[in-house]
Formats: sequence, C-alpha cells, structure tokens
Amino acid sequence: MTAGPYPQTATYTLEMPETGRGEAGKAPAVPGAAFPRALLVENVRWFCHLRWIIIASFTVFGLLGIFPGIHSLMGLHPQVAWPLTVALVLAAANIAFFLHARFLVSRTDGPAAEANLWVQIIFDLVVLTFVIYRVGSLETFVPFAYLFHIVLACIFFSRVKSLMVTGAAALLYLTSVSLEQAGLVSPAGIHANIMLRDLMRNMPEVYLFNIGVAVLAWVIVWHLTSHLSGMVLERDNALARTNRRLVESREEKARHMLRTTHELKAPFAAIDANVQLLLEGHCGVLSHDAFDVLRRISTRARRLAAEIQEMLQLANLQDPTEQMLAWEKLDLGAVVDWCLGQVQWVAGKRSVVIEQEVHSVFAIGVEDHLRMLIGNVLSNAVFYSRCGGRVSVSCRSAAGGAGEVVIEDEGIGIPAEKLPHIFDEYYRTDEAVRHNRQSTGLGLAIVRHVAQTHGIGVRVESRPGLGTRFILRFRSPEESRMPESP
Amino acid sequence: MAYIMIVDDDEDFASATAKALTDAGHEVRVVLETRGVIDKMMERPPALVILDVMFPEDPSAGFELARNIKQHDEKLENIPILMLTAINARFPLGFGPGDIDKCWLPVMDFLDKPVDLNVLTGKVSQLLRKGEAGAADLS
Repeated sequence: MTAGPYPQTATYTLEMPETGRGEAGKAPAVPGAAFPRALLVENVRWFCHLRWIIIASFTVFGLLGIFPGIHSLMGLHPQVAWPLTVALVLAAANIAFFLHARFLVSRTDGPAAEANLWVQIIFDLVVLTFVIYRVGSLETFVPFAYLFHIVLACIFFSRVKSLMVTGAAALLYLTSVSLEQAGLVSPAGIHANIMLRDLMRNMPEVYLFNIGVAVLAWVIVWHLTSHLSGMVLERDNALARTNRRLVESREEKARHMLRTTHELKAPFAAIDANVQLLLEGHCGVLSHDAFDVLRRISTRARRLAAEIQEMLQLANLQDPTEQMLAWEKLDLGAVVDWCLGQVQWVAGKRSVVIEQEVHSVFAIGVEDHLRMLIGNVLSNAVFYSRCGGRVSVSCRSAAGGAGEVVIEDEGIGIPAEKLPHIFDEYYRTDEAVRHNRQSTGLGLAIVRHVAQTHGIGVRVESRPGLGTRFILRFRSPEESRMPESP
Repeated sequence: MAYIMIVDDDEDFASATAKALTDAGHEVRVVLETRGVIDKMMERPPALVILDVMFPEDPSAGFELARNIKQHDEKLENIPILMLTAINARFPLGFGPGDIDKCWLPVMDFLDKPVDLNVLTGKVSQLLRKGEAGAADLS
C-alpha cells in the first residue's frame, strides 16, 4: 500500500498476473542470452576437455614427423617443429583456461565465464589460422576447420556474437592468405608436391574463387546454424515459461484446495460440536424424539463433511499435475501404523478388535497418497464389521522384496456380482448403505486412483455375510521407477 | 481441573468445545484471534493451549503462533499445544503427526475437525498429564 493523493487515504493497485498473451508479446528469445552462469562455466570446461584431444592429435602428428618415412608415405613434407610447438602452446593455454574455469565454479560472476569463453575462441582462431597457414591455406580443406568454431558460437552465443566470430575467422584467414600472396610471409604447406600451390599463385581467379567459396560457405553455415539454434532456444524458453506457469498454477491450486477444505469443513465441525453438546446432555435432558432428530442431524453433517473432503481428495488425485508430487522411499510399516492410529478410536467405539502384524517394508510412493489408500481400506474394514468383530492387518515382505499389505474383516462382505463396481465413484452396495449410512462411495474410488498411479496391485476376495479381504501388492523400490521431479 | 486456552476464529466451534471442557471440570478461556494471545498467556499461563491452524488473515497463523509461544518466554516454553484443524492430516499437503517437530511445528498433537468431544476431552486429559510429568522432570 502507498500513500494516496488525498491525506489519510491509502491506495492499492491490483497487480495483473502474467498471462500467456503477455508472454507471447514479449521479445523473442535471444540465442545464448538465456545460458545460466553454471552452464557457461560447464561450457568453458567442455572446451578445455575438447582441446586436449586436439593437443594429443598435434603431438602424435609431430612425433610421427620424426620418422621421415611416415609423413612421406602420405605425400607430405616431414613436419615436426610446428605441430609440437602448437601442441605445447595449446597445452599451456588450456591449463590456464581450465584453472580459471575451476576458479569460476566458486564464484557467481557470469561475465567472467563468458569472457573466458571469448578468450578461448579468439585464441583458438589465431592458433587455427597459424595451423591453416602451415598445413596449406589454399590447397587443402583445412580452412573449413573454422566451421567448428562458427557452429559452436552459434549454439552458445547470440546471433550478433556468432556473426562476430564468423567475421573474425574470415578476417584472419583473408589476412593470412593475403600475406602469403603478397610474399610478406614465406609460403608454407605440408604437401611435398608444390605444383598445386604454384598453380594457384599464378592464377588469381582460382585463388579468389577458392577463398570466396570458403568464406561464403562459412557465412551460409553461420546463417543456418544460428537460425536453427535461435528457434530451438526460443522453444526451450517457451517450454521453461510454460513449466513455470504450470508449477505456479499447481501451487495456487494446492493453496485453494487447502482453503476450500477448511471453509467447507469448518461449519460442519461447529454444527457437529454443538449437536454433540446436546446429545451428550451438556444442555439438559432431551426428549426421545429430539434426541433422535439430533442424531440424524449429526450423522448427516458428518457424512457431508466426509464427502466434501473425499471429493476434494479425489479431484486432487485426478489432476495430472499430481505427478509432480514428492515421490520417496517409504516404510510401509510406518504408514500402516499411522493408519491404524487413525481408526483405533472408531474401532473401539464399535467394539471391533484389530489384530496386527506389521513389519518394516519399503516402497516408492507419495506418503499422503499411500496413507489415503491404506486408510480407506482399513476404515472400510472397521465400518463394515459387525459390533465385536475382528479385523486383521498385516504388512510384510512378499516375494522379490515387494511389500504386501493384507486387510481382512469378518464383516458384511460384498456379493460377487457387485465386486467389479466397488471402485466406481459414488457406488455403494445396498448392503453397505444398510450397514453404514455415513458411507460416501468415494473411498474406494480414491483407492483405485492411488493404486493406478503407484502401480499397486489390489485384489479383493469376499464372501457375503462372512467378510472381505483386501490384498495390496506394492512394487519393490527396485521395480519402481521414481517419477522425475519438476 | 486446569486452565485451558482455546485459540480459534470459529466462535460456534470454540464455544461448544469450551462448554464440553468446562463441564469436564476445566476453566476455559476462548480467544478468537491470534493477536494478543501471547500477552494473555503471559498474564496467566494456561496449562494447555488448543490452537486452530487457519485464521482469516493468514492460513498458517496457527503454526506461526505455536512457534512464537515456544520462543517468547521461558514461562510459556513448556505449555503443551494441541492443534485442532479442519484440514485433515491425510489431505495431501503434508502436515500431520509425522510433522511434529520441536522447531518447525512445536505442538504435542493434532486432532481433525469435526472432532468427537469425548475424544477431545480424553486427549486434553492425556496432554495435561504429559505436561505435568514434563514440568516435574524439569523441576
């Protein structure tokens, strides 16, 4: 809030959210401009590693020159001094670049990393020009080695900067061949037969055509590569923006869900607490009819509160962005213990005895979702047991290190023909409704969603009137592929 | 009998809870906002605080208040806090008994709304006994 135009008046301007249209209206992504510092430093180090391969090649080439017969076999003059000198100079520079890159890792200086890259490129271009001069600037294809630097510049830098690298390569090359042509530096070349060079020297149109084609090829490669690189980077940036919006939207939705749950459940909690006061006799003795009416109100209010919560949970589970939740290695035994703690009171109230055999077994999953899954199956076992019934819960390791949770009751059971429907949303068997009017019909739909996203096998065995057994088969941590975090 | 403070913005719920606890023999004070709670506690430290999580101006004001209570003064440091909220601990946003941590969330236990008043009075008695045992250990 800021002071307004009138005394004692506060003003506030509502900020407009960033929208897709606003994003689209922004300037297109500039290639190279979006590289974070860490990636630049990584590029500096990668250049250094690549240069060691070049150094090794020059060293081998120079050492082979010691044995004159080997170079002669390839129709070359024996080359020893300059390849080894180039290898030595490159090695010294590479060590300096590498040390600087290591120093950059501990700093947050982005421009220093880019400066390092530029120094490396300029240095390489100068050394390459010397190598081209020594190998043969006109009669060999080695001038096309400039393309390596042009392509890399297109990938790592903006279009303008990569054009500068292309221009620098052309300038260095033209300077080198011009100096040779003018006789200011002595002609060089590795080919033993110098007829080709002499031919070019004496025919300016061939000379001009050759260097013209070389420079034109570099410019075309620069144009195509920088254009493609720009397109890729622009799509990359658009993808990053979309992903950011998706994450923000998910966070906003989670906050909204939290608030909605609270706002919808809180009134029922107040109604329920006040009805309980009346039912428990805190406000005096009620007539039988009044007591009966209040009990109906209480039951209905509790069912509605549970339904609201389960509807929200189900909506949350059906959201595809749920994949972005925190998957982790979990102790299923601890999850089962937590769920047992949640149903103990209800079980006690219904005189249902819970027998448990819980061992520590590990699985990959989202803890809250596994709590929902096991909690729903367990509370069903308790709710659909008869008074004084028995529920047995076991959590143990099965074959192959997979976890197995078995929840068995001696309750009302499910007729065989109705079993295929029990995981449908809002489906409740007549027997279930008669036994437990508070059922919402959403609990097993939640179980289905969690089981499907986690790859948990669910097997139901039931005998009407005798009981139901749920066997939950979890994948072992080795079998599970943990979804990637955003 | 113990002096208990309920901090909850839902007056209907808080007064019903207060009535149940009063009938159970406790002395109860209801505070409907988090502002000024610490001062009221300093005036007369309660034996137990029942605290809501979400308040109209801040959805996590209850967490913040729990931390402030523990850090404000030695007098308040060992008062047990029972968190009572309409956000079920199973809701996939990640807080529940497993999150009880001395620094991040210094509360003794959670209960979900709607709550059975008998469960609440039972939990209150249990926490009061724990609080007394803790105070005896410290002395």
